[in-house]
Amino acid sequence: MISFVLNALRTTRHNIKANKQVFLMSVATITIAFTIQGLFFLVFVNLNTLLSTWGKQVQLIVYLDDDISKGRMNSLEETFKSNKEVDSISYISRDEAWKGFKNTFYEKSGFVTDLDFNPLPASYNLKFRDGPERLNNIRELADSLKEYKGIESLEYGEKWISRFEKFMIILRVFILVVGAILCVGLILIISNTIKLSIYSRQDEIDLMLLLGATHRFIKTPLLLEGLVQGVIGVGLALGIVKLIHVYMRFQFQGSLESIFRGVDLQFLGQPLLWAMILVSIFIGWVGSLLSITQYLHSTDRK
Amino acid sequence: MIQAFNLHKSYGGGAPALQNVSFTIQEGEFVFLTGQSGAGKTTLFKILFGWEALDQGQVLVGGINVGKLNENNLYTLRRKVGVVFQDYKLLPKKTVFDNVAFAQQIIGADKKTIRFNTWDALKSVGLTNKKDAYPPQLSGGEQQRVAIARALVNDPQLILADEPTGNLDPEISLEILELFEKMNQQGKTVIMATHSLEMLQVRDHRLLILNRGRIVQS
Repeated sequence: MISFVLNALRTTRHNIKANKQVFLMSVATITIAFTIQGLFFLVFVNLNTLLSTWGKQVQLIVYLDDDISKGRMNSLEETFKSNKEVDSISYISRDEAWKGFKNTFYEKSGFVTDLDFNPLPASYNLKFRDGPERLNNIRELADSLKEYKGIESLEYGEKWISRFEKFMIILRVFILVVGAILCVGLILIISNTIKLSIYSRQDEIDLMLLLGATHRFIKTPLLLEGLVQGVIGVGLALGIVKLIHVYMRFQFQGSLESIFRGVDLQFLGQPLLWAMILVSIFIGWVGSLLSITQYLHSTDRK
Repeated sequence: MIQAFNLHKSYGGGAPALQNVSFTIQEGEFVFLTGQSGAGKTTLFKILFGWEALDQGQVLVGGINVGKLNENNLYTLRRKVGVVFQDYKLLPKKTVFDNVAFAQQIIGADKKTIRFNTWDALKSVGLTNKKDAYPPQLSGGEQQRVAIARALVNDPQLILADEPTGNLDPEISLEILELFEKMNQQGKTVIMATHSLEMLQVRDHRLLILNRGRIVQS
């Protein structure tokens, strides 16, 4: 077994050396394809982070009718308190709201301060506990309050959030489709590279068959060659994506933070990195397997 | 060693390469297979070591029904048969030693066994002094002896030699023939294809004659 493995490794190294140019071309193609895919993932991961940062800042504001009774307000507060996902409740009276508004907009717009009545309603600001279901919890409570008497309106930026969520779904589908197309392309490229490797060693492979080599003995070094192409290609691609990430952070982190507080330009997470490496191994393996199986089948007795 | 019954093989629409070929070869026999070019000698060899499939008939080689083998277990047959070709089929970038050792590596022998058996095989064909040379540096006769050593190294029961002296001058051809006879004396069954009359005349081995795909003498 050890001698089989050593021989397979030796043959793989020999094959790569003998077809260096083709091997490097194939690795370069894989690198480019995985770099494109990696950059898509980078954009996706960071937009996702942005969405979740926004999500964390979202609160449910319940605007009250001006003539809401004390009893209904108490009942509302009870409803909020009984919801386990609500972290804190703060009541803002009409006067407090008006005062806050005037403080904020005094310098920007003089006419609002000249109004002789308070147009703002009283409201409850509800903060929710962190968690993956946070936005859904807000949505659920908002839906349950829609028909509640004494509530004028509910506000939590639903339209923006749902648009952004839809965009993320489209982006996810787009990345998957592009990824699948790239994978098929790479399988064909690797398959052709291995085919060239096989043709350059056709006499040797035929001789192996004549001398009684098993198919496994012939296949293993060629499968390893495809696998090595995949792994080197993805390794280089991830290196390039990391360099781009470092450069982007260096250039844009400051301005990004000033626009979106708490948002940090992130690199691909470990599960995604491993997934890319495993996909590259799979692609290398399948690409090689296709051409070797095809070749061995063509040498089969006619 | 070999039992062939009504072998039939044709390529495309032309005349069949083999028609109703039947013969038996006992273990330890030395047989000349002869006939004109295109008589079907190479096709018969290819069938015997599983490189070509039969259209009809049955052939048993060392107890293995060749027609029943599939691509995953053909190697069991090929490990029992040592094949020598007219064009040697040596790997030009490997040394003489490595060319012979290659056959041992393929069957998964360990390093020590490979070294021992390769040396032994080279010794039996008288080429130990050329072990580090590359095939293009050798004469035709020497290259054929390397090919014979490679066919021998895995200790096969049957040696199939397809025109092994076709590219060699008469003197060297006789040396090569003597090598095959030596193997035969060691108990191996040898079938040697040749259309050299000289060779057929100098030795009194059994003759299997093919003519246009049919056995005319067995």
